[in-house]
Amino acid sequence: MAIQGIDFANLSLKDALDLAILVEDEAQERYEEFAAQMDQHRTPEAAKFFRYMVENEAKHGRELLARRIKLFGDAPRSVTRAMIFDIEAPDYDAARAFMTPRNAMKAALASEVKAHDFFVSALPALKDADVRALFEELRDEEVEHQDLVKKELAKLPPDSGLSDEDFVDEPAAQ
Amino acid sequence: MSATGTCEYQPKDYKSDLKPIWCPGCGDFSVVQGIYRALAAIGRPPHEIAFVSGIGCSSRIPGYTTAYGFNSVHGRALPIAQGIKMANPDLTVLAAGGDGDGFSIGGGHIAHLIRRNMDITYIVMDNQIYGLTKGQLSPTSQKGRVTCTSRYGSMEEPVNPLLYVLAYGAGFVAQASPTDLAGMAATIEEAIRYPGFAFVNVQSPCVTYGEEAQQIKGLKSISESLASMGHNPADRLAAMDLAQQYGQKMHLGVFYRNPEPPPTYGDLVKERQALLSKDAQPKERILDLFIKK
Repeated sequence: MAIQGIDFANLSLKDALDLAILVEDEAQERYEEFAAQMDQHRTPEAAKFFRYMVENEAKHGRELLARRIKLFGDAPRSVTRAMIFDIEAPDYDAARAFMTPRNAMKAALASEVKAHDFFVSALPALKDADVRALFEELRDEEVEHQDLVKKELAKLPPDSGLSDEDFVDEPAAQ
Repeated sequence: MSATGTCEYQPKDYKSDLKPIWCPGCGDFSVVQGIYRALAAIGRPPHEIAFVSGIGCSSRIPGYTTAYGFNSVHGRALPIAQGIKMANPDLTVLAAGGDGDGFSIGGGHIAHLIRRNMDITYIVMDNQIYGLTKGQLSPTSQKGRVTCTSRYGSMEEPVNPLLYVLAYGAGFVAQASPTDLAGMAATIEEAIRYPGFAFVNVQSPCVTYGEEAQQIKGLKSISESLASMGHNPADRLAAMDLAQQYGQKMHLGVFYRNPEPPPTYGDLVKERQALLSKDAQPKERILDLFIKK
């Protein structure tokens, strides 16, 4: 997780909403990539779960976008994707070929925790009351998202004891 | 479109429709994102960029990038990139590949590209293993490394890519890693902007055949930003000193940037063309040059 060039002290509500939308976009794209990776590596159950996360991130992104349009119309955006890195998107190294649905869910849970930490760490620097209220709301939503993933985790049958690594090819001489 | 009427590019504009087939968790996923971000920051349209690679997992990267691309022959990315740059000097030319491609079969090409100082950015995804062929020793594998081709451990010292290019006189030498995507994008951007040969060694873990210490967690534990250390990138000797820690420490950022970049090969060619053009023969009289008067 990293940020670049964000002046939290002077963040406007428009910029804060745009930033939140970008965070959701990044996460949505990363889950789409993960789902495609799982398809490529014949890991359909993990792919299915990552597509479920794609829908969740997209839904949240759409809600934020609707608020942004209602408040600010099509006013130009002054924040960019280059300012955020892996805020709510799972880290690339969280994916593994043949990963179990449980490990896929654990990766998503770690990302929701990461996003929560981002909003918590930004709060002390915020000066605008509306921006602060938005970040507090987003912080709390990340807790709700964590609960959502935890519920999915609870639905899973007990772990088989097998590791993702058990299905990976051993190095072979050519 | 920006307020000034120029086109602004987003990282996704450089993403191709091909889906990467790297192993999930591979460091190269971050590298390609870093490249998209760097290209967006540079802002040149995809048709003004040529991306050449050799053979290997990482050499698939031009296929995943929207630009002119050529996934060429093992170890031969640099000669092909040089040909492209000479044929069309206006293109932004990038070359990429793995440590095996660059420092084993293609190792002989780097020295000549450096001494010519062609304006090409070379990104090596250094994972210290041949991944595509299932885990053999590569030129940057650590001494003692056990692989399918070194069952009792490697007896060879690894090539130090940073010291290698510094010793040959590269004008821009940097190191990046997926442990810091923001830093990697900024470093690649700076390399592309450097007027001359630029080298970026990216320590990109192989999740399938790489050792535990070379995964993201292990790399994070040995990483240190050169900027935070107060390193002066204009100091070549200090850069060489730090580069010697390759394999023990992972310094991130710019090791060396020549503060007075010399003319590139392209500049010299233009100069020579200007000098000789006044006596140039028309095409139909070219053979007269060989007739003794």
